[in-house]
Amino acid sequence: MEKSCTLLIHFDKGTPAIANEIKEALEGNDVPAKVDAMKKAIMLLLNGETLPQLFITIVRYVLPSEDHTVQKLLLLYLEIIEKTDTKGRVLPEMILICQNLRNNLQHPNEYIRGVTLRFLCRLNETEIIEPLIPSVLQNLEHRHPFIRRNAILAVMSIYKLPQGEQLLVDAPEMIEKVLSTEQDASAKRNAFLMLFTCAQDRAINYLLTHVDRVSEWGELLQMVVLDLIRKVCRTNRSEKGKYIKIIISLLNAPSTAVIYECASTLVSLSSAPTAIRAAANTYCQLLLSQSDNNVKLIVLDRLNEIKSSHRDIMVDLIMDVLRALSSPNLDIQRKTLDIVLELITPRNINEVVLMLKKEVVKTQSGELEKNGEYRQMLIQAIHSCAIKFPEVASTVVHLLMDFLGDNNVPSAIDVVVFVREIIETNPKLRVSIITRLLDTFYQIRAARVCSCALWIVGEYCLSLSEVESGIATIKHCLGELPFYSVSEEGEGTDASKKTPQANSITVSSRRPAILADGTYATQSAASETAFSAPKVVQGSLASGNLRSLLLTGDFFLGAVVACTLTKLVLRLQEVQPSKVEANKATTQALLIIVSMLQLGQSPVLPHPIDNDSYDRIVLCIRLLCNTGDDIRKIWLQSCRQSFVKMLSEKQLQETEELKAKAQVSHAQPDDLIDFYHLKSRKGMSQLELEDEVQDDLKRATGEFVNDTDDANKLNRILQLTGFSDPVYAEAYVTVHHYDIVLDITVINRTKETLQNLCLELATMGDLKLVERPQNYTLAPESSKQIKANIKVSSTETGVIFGNIVYETSNVLERTVVVLNDIHIDIMDYISPAVCTDAAFRTMWAEFEWENKVAVNTVIQDEKVFLEHIIMSTNMKCLTPVSALDDECGFLAANLYAKSVFGEDALVNLSIEKQADGKLSGYIRIRSKTQGIALSLGDKITLKQKGSG
Amino acid sequence: MVVLAASVLSKSGKVLVSRQFVDMTRIRIEGLLAAFPKLVGTGKQHTYVETENVRYVYQPIEALYLLLVTNKQSNILEDLETLRLLSKLVPEYCYTLDEEGICKNAFELIFAFDEVICLGHKENVTVAQVKQYCEMESHEEKLHKLVLQSKINETKDIMKRKASEIDKSKIDKNKGDKGGFMSMGSGRIETSFTDMSISSSGSGFGSGSGLGVTTDVDSFSTKSKGRQPSSATAPPKGLGMQLGKSQKTNQFLESLKAEGELIVEDVQPRAGQSRVVATAPTDPITLTAEEKLNVTLKRDGGISNFDVQGTLSLQILNPEDAHIQVQVETGGNPGILFKTHPNMSKELFANENILGLKDPNRPFPTGPAGDVAGVGLLKWRMQSADESMVPLTINCWPSVSGNETYVSIEYEASAMFDLRNVVISVPLPALREAPNVNQIDGEWRYDSRNSVLEWSIVLIDNSNRSGSMEFVVPPADSSVFFPISVRFSATSLYSDLKVANIIPLKGGGAPPKFSQRANLITENYEVV
Repeated sequence: MEKSCTLLIHFDKGTPAIANEIKEALEGNDVPAKVDAMKKAIMLLLNGETLPQLFITIVRYVLPSEDHTVQKLLLLYLEIIEKTDTKGRVLPEMILICQNLRNNLQHPNEYIRGVTLRFLCRLNETEIIEPLIPSVLQNLEHRHPFIRRNAILAVMSIYKLPQGEQLLVDAPEMIEKVLSTEQDASAKRNAFLMLFTCAQDRAINYLLTHVDRVSEWGELLQMVVLDLIRKVCRTNRSEKGKYIKIIISLLNAPSTAVIYECASTLVSLSSAPTAIRAAANTYCQLLLSQSDNNVKLIVLDRLNEIKSSHRDIMVDLIMDVLRALSSPNLDIQRKTLDIVLELITPRNINEVVLMLKKEVVKTQSGELEKNGEYRQMLIQAIHSCAIKFPEVASTVVHLLMDFLGDNNVPSAIDVVVFVREIIETNPKLRVSIITRLLDTFYQIRAARVCSCALWIVGEYCLSLSEVESGIATIKHCLGELPFYSVSEEGEGTDASKKTPQANSITVSSRRPAILADGTYATQSAASETAFSAPKVVQGSLASGNLRSLLLTGDFFLGAVVACTLTKLVLRLQEVQPSKVEANKATTQALLIIVSMLQLGQSPVLPHPIDNDSYDRIVLCIRLLCNTGDDIRKIWLQSCRQSFVKMLSEKQLQETEELKAKAQVSHAQPDDLIDFYHLKSRKGMSQLELEDEVQDDLKRATGEFVNDTDDANKLNRILQLTGFSDPVYAEAYVTVHHYDIVLDITVINRTKETLQNLCLELATMGDLKLVERPQNYTLAPESSKQIKANIKVSSTETGVIFGNIVYETSNVLERTVVVLNDIHIDIMDYISPAVCTDAAFRTMWAEFEWENKVAVNTVIQDEKVFLEHIIMSTNMKCLTPVSALDDECGFLAANLYAKSVFGEDALVNLSIEKQADGKLSGYIRIRSKTQGIALSLGDKITLKQKGSG
Repeated sequence: MVVLAASVLSKSGKVLVSRQFVDMTRIRIEGLLAAFPKLVGTGKQHTYVETENVRYVYQPIEALYLLLVTNKQSNILEDLETLRLLSKLVPEYCYTLDEEGICKNAFELIFAFDEVICLGHKENVTVAQVKQYCEMESHEEKLHKLVLQSKINETKDIMKRKASEIDKSKIDKNKGDKGGFMSMGSGRIETSFTDMSISSSGSGFGSGSGLGVTTDVDSFSTKSKGRQPSSATAPPKGLGMQLGKSQKTNQFLESLKAEGELIVEDVQPRAGQSRVVATAPTDPITLTAEEKLNVTLKRDGGISNFDVQGTLSLQILNPEDAHIQVQVETGGNPGILFKTHPNMSKELFANENILGLKDPNRPFPTGPAGDVAGVGLLKWRMQSADESMVPLTINCWPSVSGNETYVSIEYEASAMFDLRNVVISVPLPALREAPNVNQIDGEWRYDSRNSVLEWSIVLIDNSNRSGSMEFVVPPADSSVFFPISVRFSATSLYSDLKVANIIPLKGGGAPPKFSQRANLITENYEVV
């Protein structure tokens, strides 16, 4: 076990203290100077210096000091100095401090006694502690509670030492006696804690004798009692019955911390519905009564845990949980909704939806900044409710459609997506939704919402009247045709002809602007006209939402309008008995489409129409002029079919995910089955008996190491020097989360003793060596294990390099053996992760670092190549499998991963199969930091060649 | 429920101060703290972050983060409380809440953190208390210093007086014959003074030599310590909330039972686990006669103190048997004075040797099996200067020869008693290793911590009324080996008190069964 670290203090390297100065100050009589010097000495020690010469000075001049601060600093100093030699024996000079510690333990100042006792808690060396024991025991009966409190803890720590039971044979008895007479709450808690950790039977005995008074005990003591109960019950389930009553009585305790603890104890002890219900109720009460967001969130986590194991109980409490929505915090609201959504049953769906509706309405009235986001969340929640229970859709869909014109674009998009899904899955609602949609269409402001709404109109207007009113609505929203009049155009062109002169006049009248680089700036006249012209058009004709959007140059929307019109006209031709009417509608549609094209090519807009939209609009014209059955089928049926397919696929994916989730919790077929009652507890190692809490603690302190594959271990051995070098070294690299441990074996291959052998390591990249290297002496042909810790602070390919330096006895000069470089692989730090498409897009747009790698591979198949990249980069493919299904010679996919430091790594892969069968294209890597982009790029370049 | 560490970080992520409360390696804590700034999101309205293994609970203070690292099972409510307390403490100790201010007062912060969290557990303290603890102003210390000072002054006075007396007597002696003894005396006082001055200039008391002044101080301080045992037994409050009585809890329990949970209604601790008594009386009535010996023998023979104190105590298990009288026989030893309990009828005892209550209708108090003491009925006392009454005499002869001291000890037991578990403890000078025991009757053990040689003989009866041992130690003054203390027990008494009969007062049936015990133990048996 490595040495533990008890304190860290930031050390400013700018003012290095010199050992001599410290020594002088310590020897003097000036107390403030002494305090200062002690502080400096401690800082130096923390920074890795060993300062062995200072110890004697401190023993001589600091030990006798009567100043309290000096004494306390002295204890800190003693806490952090090396008290043992390399073999773990206590250094002989340490005996010098014993006398001082004993004096401190008998000091008239109670605080000196207290802090000294506290220091003893952190001391592990039996040899130092042993002579102090009588004094420690004396302090158990001191009249000052501060001392007793710490004395009890000291006894506990001593008893817990490896030889503690011999040092303090009767400690549990003594503490039990102390406990029975103790009045101070803290001291009592400590005493009970001592019994709990060292002599559980006695603690139980005490608890059971005082069972009637548990509810009057102090909060701290009650917490330990609950801890004890949990532990006892875990090792000995049959005793559970005795304690449940205690827990129930504590549920009424005044302290919320105790109540919370009770609830979690109850959950861990029993799976009886009443107990779980009581716990869940308690959590719900805390959820409402506590105003702190942290508490609410953590309580929600606990409720979530209960939900996963006892869903039926939580279902009854759904309305209590929902009340947490009243908190203005988005995280809390989100968590609450997440929990609630999984608890919905046919019985409570109506209540829940009612509540959600109320909340939605509330967001309209209040003017909180987060309302938009919250509304979006609520809409999504209602959406998923409606999918699970289609019957509620009718009650909410109209309410939600009010939000189509919402200023908050994301929530409007959510609404329109919701409507799209409902209209398909709920055929009964189609008519009412279409009518409503056509009524509110003019309110829609956002282009994306518009296009989606247009699609709905195009697909689901079926009857004659609907189709007609659909066409009418679109026409209305486009406003009067043309988009700009000929005269305007003439003016426009005139203006564009004239403006160069006008502008040249203005430019000349103005003084030329001088740019930062010293050149004269000349503004192009064209750009000025481009800026001014649309303004005029917009100002004069700002009616109808579609029109204004089109006039800003959104021709994608134009294409959608054209398609929708085409679809509606095609359908009209089917449902309209009168050919004349149908033809009339066709011509009108053609007129609109053509004027859009004209607008696109006119110079009034800053950008002309893009090619994609142009093609699509032209296609619509052709179609309207020349209809055929095949095309009609594609436009009127296939679109709908593919939408249905998408929906069903989504559902399928969801059910599959659910299935996968359900499968995870099952045990493996070859897992050991643990029959608790058949297990003998005698022969079992402590480790097996260790309960979850301790595991949790161990994991937190980093003591817990999972056993890894031995085979895997061998793979990671790196040879650092050659076999014929005088010193052979190899390293085994373990990568933990935040650190890398190098276990280096050094073997002396010569027949001489190597002295002052030192392993010097240096790092490149975001790595930092934690400790200074030590010197060793290596006997002939012997070996030595050296451990080196390296701290990692970000994901980046790092390199560790170094030398082994040593002296031989007959040659005075130092010999150097250079080591092989150790490369730290980025793959150890990233793990596959999932994020939504939207999140991926925003991150893609935000991140500054891009690394573009050209595809150069022997792999011929797109999908095989994708899999190869996924395999070699340890990332997750976000693009659904279905999208990659068919052969088309193209492939685009998004990959995503997260590093242990929370950094995101995005990869986009776009490849095309060439005529000669080779793949070409690019892999783009984006990340927030340069390190990831670079090292991931290197990795891909290295690996993309593929197996061949 | 454990706080792993309390730390202060700057907003940029620099660790300014961190105090760990459980064992963890440096790399681990540095890693955890380095990860924290990356995990803190901006614009969050809550102040905790959970990772796979730990939870961070933090609070921004101006340009700093105050941070608690806890395990994930930790109780958030308690941790927040702790954090709140710490956040109040930080400004108390740092005047400017920035990097510089924290670094300057890092140690003070660590001391304060230590007062709030102990081994990872929260202490029940307030800001004022923490400040008080950190200031370390102790009334007792001041008092102690005052007393010490006055003692020093007093001793100085005494020394002056003594010195002048000695000078005077020297002059007197010089007039007559030579007084070597007196000059030795004066030398001794001087050393005591120098000792004193050293210890007062040094770290304090308690480590001084065993001479007059320091022992005085010690006795004073113990007195002041023992003045008020504040941890006195709490009066048991029996009227607390009763479990399982309220209707609601009962319902709860019933439903739990119905669901298959096992509930034990009456929880009794398993008895006997921590009981000190080995044998609980099983007879309905037990009478215990016990005598305690306080003896001080002089090292060159003779008694300086011999004192026996005896008690007869009665213990009754069942209240039905409590109406009784006790008929006793005394050995007729004239040196013994008996005294009855104030509630006992004196005349009855004086006339008929019967112990009974003044009011014959009242029962004797009864007690459960575990109660050791019983009820005292009778006390007696015996003092003597007669050497023949001493049950065990010890003879100790240290003799220096060359570089070693030979110590031979012998004991002689009077034929009155058979002594059990005899332990003779001889103090030794501080030794590196156990002394060399050349010859011994019985067994020996060396207690290095107290540097005492313990000679134990399981039983002294007619077969071994005398015995001896001899051991060798490095040269030492003969006074070192005294006082020798002795412990033993016996089953016969000086008073020869016996219970003849128990007379039942009610029911008139056969006398109930009773058992009697006699026990002679040493309380303080020393050879000085």
